[in-house]
Formats: sequence, C-alpha cells, structure tokens
Amino acid sequence: MSFVSVEKLHKSYAGTPVFQDIDCQIQRGEFVTLLGPSGCGKSTLLRCIAGLTPVDSGQILLDGQDIVPLSPQKRGIGMVFQSYALFPNMTVEQNVAFGLRMQKTKAEESQARVREVLELVELGSFAGRYPHQLSGGQCQRVALARSLVTRPRLLLLDEPLSALDARIRKHLREQIRAIQRELGLTTIFVTHDQEEALTMSDRIFLMNQGRIVQSGDAETLYTAPVDLFAAGFIGNYNLLDADSASRVLQRPIASRLAIRPESISLGLDGELDGLVRSHSLLGNVIRYRVEVRGVELVVDVLNRSSADLHPDGQRVSLAIDPTALREVA
Amino acid sequence: MTSSHRGRFLALLCLLPFAVFFFIFQIAPLGWVAVHSLHAESGWGLDNFSKIFASKFYLQALQRSLEISFYSSLFGILIATLGAYSLRQVDSRLRDFVSAFANMTSNFSGVPLAFAFIILLGFNGALTLLLKQIGLLEDFSIYSKSGLILVYTYFQIPLGVLLLYPAFDALREDWRESAALLGASHWQYWRHIGLPVLMPALLGTFVILLANALGAYATVYALTTGNFNVLPIRIAALVAGDISLDPNLASALAMVLVGLMTLVTVVHQWLLKRSYHAR
Amino acid sequence: MRAEPGKGGVYHRVVVYLLFLILLLPLAGTLLYSLATSWSASLLPSGLTLKWYVALWSEPRFLAAFGQSLLVCVGALLLSVVLILPLLFVVHYHFPRLDALMNILILLPFAVPPVVSSVGLLQLYGSGPMAMVGTPWILIGCYFTVALPFMYRAITNNLQAINLRDLMDAAQLLGASTWQAALLVVLPNLRKGLMVALLLSFSFLFGEFVFANLLVGTRYETLQVYLNNMRNSSGHFNSALVISYFAFVLLLTWVANRLNKDKS
Repeated sequence: MSFVSVEKLHKSYAGTPVFQDIDCQIQRGEFVTLLGPSGCGKSTLLRCIAGLTPVDSGQILLDGQDIVPLSPQKRGIGMVFQSYALFPNMTVEQNVAFGLRMQKTKAEESQARVREVLELVELGSFAGRYPHQLSGGQCQRVALARSLVTRPRLLLLDEPLSALDARIRKHLREQIRAIQRELGLTTIFVTHDQEEALTMSDRIFLMNQGRIVQSGDAETLYTAPVDLFAAGFIGNYNLLDADSASRVLQRPIASRLAIRPESISLGLDGELDGLVRSHSLLGNVIRYRVEVRGVELVVDVLNRSSADLHPDGQRVSLAIDPTALREVA
Repeated sequence: MTSSHRGRFLALLCLLPFAVFFFIFQIAPLGWVAVHSLHAESGWGLDNFSKIFASKFYLQALQRSLEISFYSSLFGILIATLGAYSLRQVDSRLRDFVSAFANMTSNFSGVPLAFAFIILLGFNGALTLLLKQIGLLEDFSIYSKSGLILVYTYFQIPLGVLLLYPAFDALREDWRESAALLGASHWQYWRHIGLPVLMPALLGTFVILLANALGAYATVYALTTGNFNVLPIRIAALVAGDISLDPNLASALAMVLVGLMTLVTVVHQWLLKRSYHAR
Repeated sequence: MRAEPGKGGVYHRVVVYLLFLILLLPLAGTLLYSLATSWSASLLPSGLTLKWYVALWSEPRFLAAFGQSLLVCVGALLLSVVLILPLLFVVHYHFPRLDALMNILILLPFAVPPVVSSVGLLQLYGSGPMAMVGTPWILIGCYFTVALPFMYRAITNNLQAINLRDLMDAAQLLGASTWQAALLVVLPNLRKGLMVALLLSFSFLFGEFVFANLLVGTRYETLQVYLNNMRNSSGHFNSALVISYFAFVLLLTWVANRLNKDKS
C-alpha cells in the first residue's frame, strides 16, 4: 500500500482547470520530485496536499487516511517555502520551537529537540539570531529544521533552493538529501530545475499543463522520454522530425527521433560527414553544433584532451550509437 | 569652479523666501509661545505653570483632554484595524470604493461634522429618538464627555484606516500558511506572529491619533460653542475670548499641550525599542 | 492569487459594509435633513424639497464666504508652489543632505496644533509693523505652513521617482543650462504629482477652521467660519450648507484620484 496516494484530484481556478484527474502513488520513505515548467500545476498540487489550497474533488490518502477534509493544522505535514517564511519577530530557536509550542510540548523536551535538529542542519550556534541576521542559505536551513522538529509524516518542499545562488544550492541539495535519507522521511520536492530533480530524487513526476506526463526514476526519464515535451524538457536532446532524421541517417524513418548529444561521437573516421559550425566550452564538456546534411546536431564531447578540440569549420565524421535513437510521439 | 560656487550661492538664495515665510508663520509664533509661557505678571519664572497645576479648573481641562483623546484613539484604532484588515481581503471593487469613501470622509471633520452629529444625535436628533424608542438610550447627550468621545472616534477612524492599510503589507501570506502547518489556529497566529509584527505600525498610528485628538479644536468648539472644558478651548479662550485675556497663561497652557504631545511621542519611541523591531 | 475559503469571505464583507455604514451615517443624516421640508422630533422627515439649496445658493453672504475661502486657499497654494518648488529643486539637486533637516522641519505644522501657533500669531501680528490679524494675508501665510507637509512629501516622492539627478545630467549633457533643464525637463514631469498634491491640499485647506476663526473671524469670513456663525439659523439650511461644502470637496478628491490612477 502506498504511503501517499493522490486519487482523481481535480482543481479549477476561476473556471480554468489547473489539473484534472491527477493520480499518483508515493511509497514510504521515498524522495519524489514534481518537475515541470512554470504553470504546470506542480506547486498547486503540493499546496493541495498541504491543505493550503482547497481541492474541487478527489482524495488524498496519507497513510490510509483521507486528509482532504482536514485543516492544515491537523495533517501532520511539514513544508518548506521558497521564501523561507521565517517569523521575523522570533529568534532561530523560537522559530524552530514554534511547532512544538503549538503541540504543547514541555519546555525541557522542546529545548532538547530544537537543539538536536539545529545540530542536524549545522546551525547550532545560531540559535539566538534573528532571521534578518541570516543569509539566504542559513534561513532555508532554519526553515528545514522548523519543519523537521515536529516529526511530520510527510515533508513538502516548494522550490526551496530557487532563491539561492548556485554554490549554496548545490551544498544544500546534498544536505537535504542526506537528512532525508537519515530520517527515512517521505518527501515531495517541487522544482523546475531538471538537474536538481535528476540528482536528488528516487522518482520523478514530470508534469505539463496539469497532467503527469511521465513518472519514473531519473535514469528512465533521462534515457527514455515518453513524448516530445519530455524529451525537450530533460537534457539537451536533439529532436529531429521524420524528414530530417531520414536525411541524416540515410534511411527512411517514420517518426520523430530524439538523440542524446553525448551518444554522438566525433572523430575522423565514422559513417557520417559533418561540419563543425560552432562550439562552447562548458567546463568538462565541449558542446559542438555540427551540421550533417543540412541538419544541425548538438554533440557533447568530454573534454579529455586536445584531441577532443575541433575548431570551427573543420570537417568531422560522426558516429551515432544506434541504441540511443529514441522514437518519440 | 567659481561658476559652481556662484551656482550654489544662487541656490541658497532660492531657499531664502521659503525660510522667511516659514520663520514668520511657523517658527516665530512657536518661539513667542515658548518664551512667554515663562512670563507672568510677577515677572519671569514658572508662575504660569504653578497657576495651571494648582487650579482645579485647568486640571479638569487637562484630564478631560487626555480622557477624550485616549478613548477616541483607542476605539478609533480598534475599528480601523479590523476595518483595514477586512478591507484588504475583499474584492477590489468593494475595496476601492470603500477606500475612496474613507479617504473622502477624512475631510469631514470640524464644524461640518459637529453639525452632522447634532442633527443625528442632538436632543431632538433622529437617532436619539429612535434609540430612545427602542429603549437602548436613557440619558445620553452628545454634548457630554462620552458624546465627544463618540464624535472624536468618528473622525479618527478614516485617518486610522488610511494609516494602517499599508501596514498590513508587512504581513506575508506564507507566514500564515507556515504557522497553520505547524499547528497554529487563527488566533494563535495573530497572537504569536501577526500582532507582534504589526505592533510598531499600530503603536505609531495610535500616537498619531492621540496627537490628532489632543490638538483638535474645531469639532469641540462647534459642538459645544466653546463651552466644554478641554485644553485647546481653554487656550483659545485666553487669547480670543470675551472675558479676561491672558496671552502668557495661554502660552503656558499651550506649552503643556505641546509637552503632552512630546511625552506621548517619547513613550512611543521607548515602546518601539522594547517591542519587535524590523530591520 | 489564492482563493479565500467562503466563510472568511463573508465575515470580511460584513466588516467592510459595517465600516462603510458607520462612516456614511452622519453624512446620510445631514443629506436627508437638507432635503427635508421639516424634520423635528420624529424618526423621518415629513417631506422632501430642494428649497434649502435654492435658498443657500442665492444667499449673498454664503457666496461671499465661498468666494473668500476659494481666494485664500488658491492664494496659499500659489504661494506654496512659488516657495516650495524652488526649495525642493535646490535641496534635491544641490544640497541632498538638507533633505533630512527638511523632513524634520515639515513635522512642525503637524506636531504643533494650530491653537498653539495662534497664540503667538495673535500677539506678534495683532498690531505693530507686521499687523496682519484680521486680514486674509495672515491666513494665506498660515495656510502655506499647513499645506507644506503635504506638498513637500508629494513632490519629493515624485522627484525621487523621476530620478532628478539623472534627468538634469542628461539634459545638461545635451546642452541645456540649469534653468532650462529645470523648466523644460523636470517641471513637466512633476505636473501630475503636483496637481494631485495641490488638489488634496486644497481640500484640506478648504476645511480649515482654527486659524480662520481665531485670526480673522468675521472680518474676512471664510466658509467654515460662516458655517459656524450660522449655527443658530435653520438646521435645514445648515445641512444644505454642509452637504454643498462636502460635495465640493468630494469633487476635488475624485479628480485627484482620477489623476493619480491615470499616472503613466
């Protein structure tokens, strides 16, 4: 039995449906990501699970109990917001202790648990500070601590890292995942950043326009996108329509093809001839734009040595891994 | 560089007319009052002030001023807080309409307001009769202290709403949601987060309302034809009345009034420091 | 934005309607009284008529008071514009550190009640070389100080919004002198903010009573003083007077609001 089960959820706003008939199942202890572009309904779905936005119809079962009729206070769900939502008039310690206070926990126990969770997020010495004295990353860790201390059954994170800069984002990503694993806490994470989704999740639900387009683990989503949207959203797929594909591969192709850029190799002996149009250095990967028979392909090559550098205008030959050709609808 | 100097000199010259007018009509009168509050028949000293504080009559004026100002500001800010908060939550058409209306009624104070209240709640006023018929009203006079508190509260409300409406900007929606998920009920949210965050704005508005009521002259004058014993009336009576004119005593009373307002501001600053202080 | 649950919505609507009702009541009562043929000691008026308004608007003393109020307010605002615009320009362009001082100075008209100032004004300018008490001139001067905080704040916000320094610099780089830049570039941009500030200050000044009564009284009767002096005449007449005054102020505030919303 799934730990979280969303069944036939239906939500409209001002006459326009946000999502219709959404179904998804999440197992206990899983880290699941809702991934998709802005406006696809992922945040709304999260807020419906939290009880902050009412649903029109459907059920949300948490550990077997339908939580739709419950107020947010009673659902036992923790949530971390994109804007941290730390209470400005309270210290870090008071912020974190707030949930315990609402549960009428005794002062001694509350203090101990607060201290424990602050150590977990590595902010033990910041207990007396106020939110306006903290950096963005520190604020987010306090927000995390605050939602963990009440021992919720489910943790929701609504684009928690979007407001932070890249380096802190990477560090926090790892920290959040590590804490989640240690606590075995069922977690739903919302993001529009595919790299985040791919690195952190056990499973990903890819959403578009109110529908769950594809669900699966990172590997499946990346190597086997189910349709054009999925292929366009994850990774840097070359998306070729049937004509262009036929032209490149010199054999009739019936449907659209998606080819991953790293599954094309550049060398001086291969079946296809092409011309390097431009390149950009992405650090450990060089991204080439190569024209093959009038079709431009993106090719990613690992930057191992100078042998991998091909100047613009050079003629190269390409080899495409046949197992990497995916037909997409 | 000299043209720049000349430019600055010309600029300073532009400031001169303003400074002159401001001095004549604002600074000089205030200065006169401050100086002459210390000038009594017996020469320079604090005689005026001892006279004031020894007189039952003037002490009554002081007490009445404080009472009316305090209660009208208290009721005014309560109504304004509830009103401003709800105003933010309703749809924009209703909100814009009532906001504009509150804006316009803030001009409705002084003599016109006094007349309007006499019509409604005077001895033969329509509301007085209605309430007497229902039996809710026994012995109410708009010309009494409670009557004045009612009238003052009326003109404090629009000012309060105007000042408090933007203050609710400081309350972020995700604090409320976050508190709810952590188990806080509606009241608990307000008690632990909402009100503390709003407190500086609430205190500030309260102080402004207090000062507004303390210095109000037109409304009480028009309502009671200058016969009600509050500070502004006493001050005016000593300089423009028919009986004994004593501008020096008036100055001393005026300084007491200004002193009260300063005291109120100081207490406000002190309270601000103690309560939660946003960056 | 998020949809509000139904229950909360009803409460808020009720509160807002209540607020509206509380504020409306005295106005409504006065309006009704001004249209009533007679309304004494009963719950509702006995009949409706416009005769009080006719009487009001054909009363020469009223028209004189209205006109005199207009004159004084317009005069005060003209004076304000002439004094404050150059001041603001100079402060923001040449001496930005004076802005802090100015912000304290303009608190004075707020912090010092008109009654208090009147004590000094009556003594200083009641007689002698600068005698102005009883003339409209002292009113114009005092009203200038009353309007000062509103005008200063409104135009300051406007100047900050249009980024005075950058505009002036750009104009001067294109060859304009300081004067030309100020008149041709800055002033047109201030027009709307200035209009709104003027209209709002006007409404406020039009309702001023303390200075008008204590410093000038019946010697130059403004509308508010006239209203107070008429207290013993018919209540219906007074109500028509109050409503006419309020309608005029309403018109001004409405125009100011429209201009405000119109800001491009």
